Amino acid sequence: MDIEKYIDDIITKFPKIIDAEVVNIKRLMIYIPKNSLLEIAEYLFKNLGYRYIIVTAMDSKEGFEIIYHFSDDSSGWIVNLNVMLDRDKPEIESLTPVVYGAEWIEREIMDLLGIKFLNHPKPERFLFAEDWPEGKYPLRRDYVEEEK
Amino acid sequence: MGKKTLVPLGPYHPLLEEPEFFKLYCDGEIVKEVIWETGYNHRGIEKLCQSKTFEQVFYVVERICGICSTSHPFAYANAVESIPGVEIPERAKYIRSIVGELERIHSHLLWVGLAGHFLGYNTLFMWAWKYREPVLDMFEIITGNRNNYAMFTIGGVRRDISPEQATQLLNVLEDVKVKTTMLVGAVMDDPVIHARLKGVGILTAEDIHDFGAVGPTARASGVDIDVRRDDSYAAYDMIDWKVITAGSGDVFAKAEVRLLEMYESISIIKQCLEALKKTEAGDIKVKVKEIPPGIGIGHAEAPRGEVFHFVKSDGGNSPVRHKIRAPSFTCIPTFRRSCVGGTISDAAIATAAVDPCYCCTERMSHVYNYNTGKHIMSAAELIKLSQEKTKILKAKLKV
Repeated sequence: MDIEKYIDDIITKFPKIIDAEVVNIKRLMIYIPKNSLLEIAEYLFKNLGYRYIIVTAMDSKEGFEIIYHFSDDSSGWIVNLNVMLDRDKPEIESLTPVVYGAEWIEREIMDLLGIKFLNHPKPERFLFAEDWPEGKYPLRRDYVEEEK
Repeated sequence: MGKKTLVPLGPYHPLLEEPEFFKLYCDGEIVKEVIWETGYNHRGIEKLCQSKTFEQVFYVVERICGICSTSHPFAYANAVESIPGVEIPERAKYIRSIVGELERIHSHLLWVGLAGHFLGYNTLFMWAWKYREPVLDMFEIITGNRNNYAMFTIGGVRRDISPEQATQLLNVLEDVKVKTTMLVGAVMDDPVIHARLKGVGILTAEDIHDFGAVGPTARASGVDIDVRRDDSYAAYDMIDWKVITAGSGDVFAKAEVRLLEMYESISIIKQCLEALKKTEAGDIKVKVKEIPPGIGIGHAEAPRGEVFHFVKSDGGNSPVRHKIRAPSFTCIPTFRRSCVGGTISDAAIATAAVDPCYCCTERMSHVYNYNTGKHIMSAAELIKLSQEKTKILKAKLKV
């Protein structure tokens, strides 16, 4: 895979892309605004036939960072889409309509970080028990464990 | 539409590594819908890893899975070593591959046994698990433990393999190869197993792509993916081996892929042992002083498929974010396609086909009438149902 040409091509195709950099050997990170997630993910998943791996969400200094991992198994490259969400309004379009398998991980992120996925087919609790208090998200930076 | 009955297939047993709960909605005997619920044993490993040092995380992730307990350290090592760009010694690469492939052999033998049990072939179960024992003993000789081997560390491995151990291992492998041939014969030549497994729990290549399923589940549907070849790590690009695939996508194809993969694993270990002779004994580790800020993404092919680890470092002692994805996370949802349209008696083997650590199910699942809540049957009876179907087939085929 000629990575420089690849980056040029994808930025030409989607001018909304903020930045793209190689973060490690065979690992590409593409920074995108949240409203262009679905079209770029659809291009990678359906047009290029990349394999969906998983979604990582984290509480970074700048806000909530969501990374969508896709694998190009013919070359071994992992292409990551990085979206930064506002801390005050953590919501984003659900990927499930495009990638069917993303339903479960999005529900997990809802539980652990309290990020809202719009148009999710089943926005219910996934990991936590029914008696887990509302509004407590263990992977957030401000989460404090209760004394027993 | 007749009465809709809810059949819960699910262990709430805390001893299991993956306690899952499946609600099978059935119309008569036909499964109409499968709903997956999980979280019964959520241990917060990702959060825990953020409070450990990079070195300690190895021993935490090793305990995610008791059966494939080297695949998580493998993927984590690939991820964390890629941040400073560490090149580990060649000898360590071979030893890592040997441990990884030994694990594949014992895990596949375990699956063959369990699948046999679900079908009512208890002799197959006894055989497969009996032949798995010498492999576990070999683990104890090489690593010191039958499970949770504690073999990996940042920059290499913690123990060397001596020439005596290598000879012992070769003898065990010869024996395992003979037994594998016997098991392959027992599965492939049995007309009842053909009748029970062929055309059951079919997944197409499109289903695999939709769910992102990996490993033998994907390869049995003709999807030719294997991290060991596609994004090679450890010693896999230095030796000669091939990826096993099958086309039909049913449970039989998954059994075929797993059985034939064991031959490849045996061949890989033999080549690695041969290569160990050419490297210097004791050169198994390089020193890594610190992990600089950066992102490490590593994956490894576990017996069940790709294990994926994402590690973010800020230059401190511990990861600021550690995301883990085990293969079952994307393989289990495929039940939505593989079980629907089949009978309840086929659901047991169709769910077991992706190898989701299923051992406790028989003790914990019960069938209730969805409308009245009345108890209909227990899991033991469910497996009995599956076994009886085999018996009827046996009588029909006169074997």
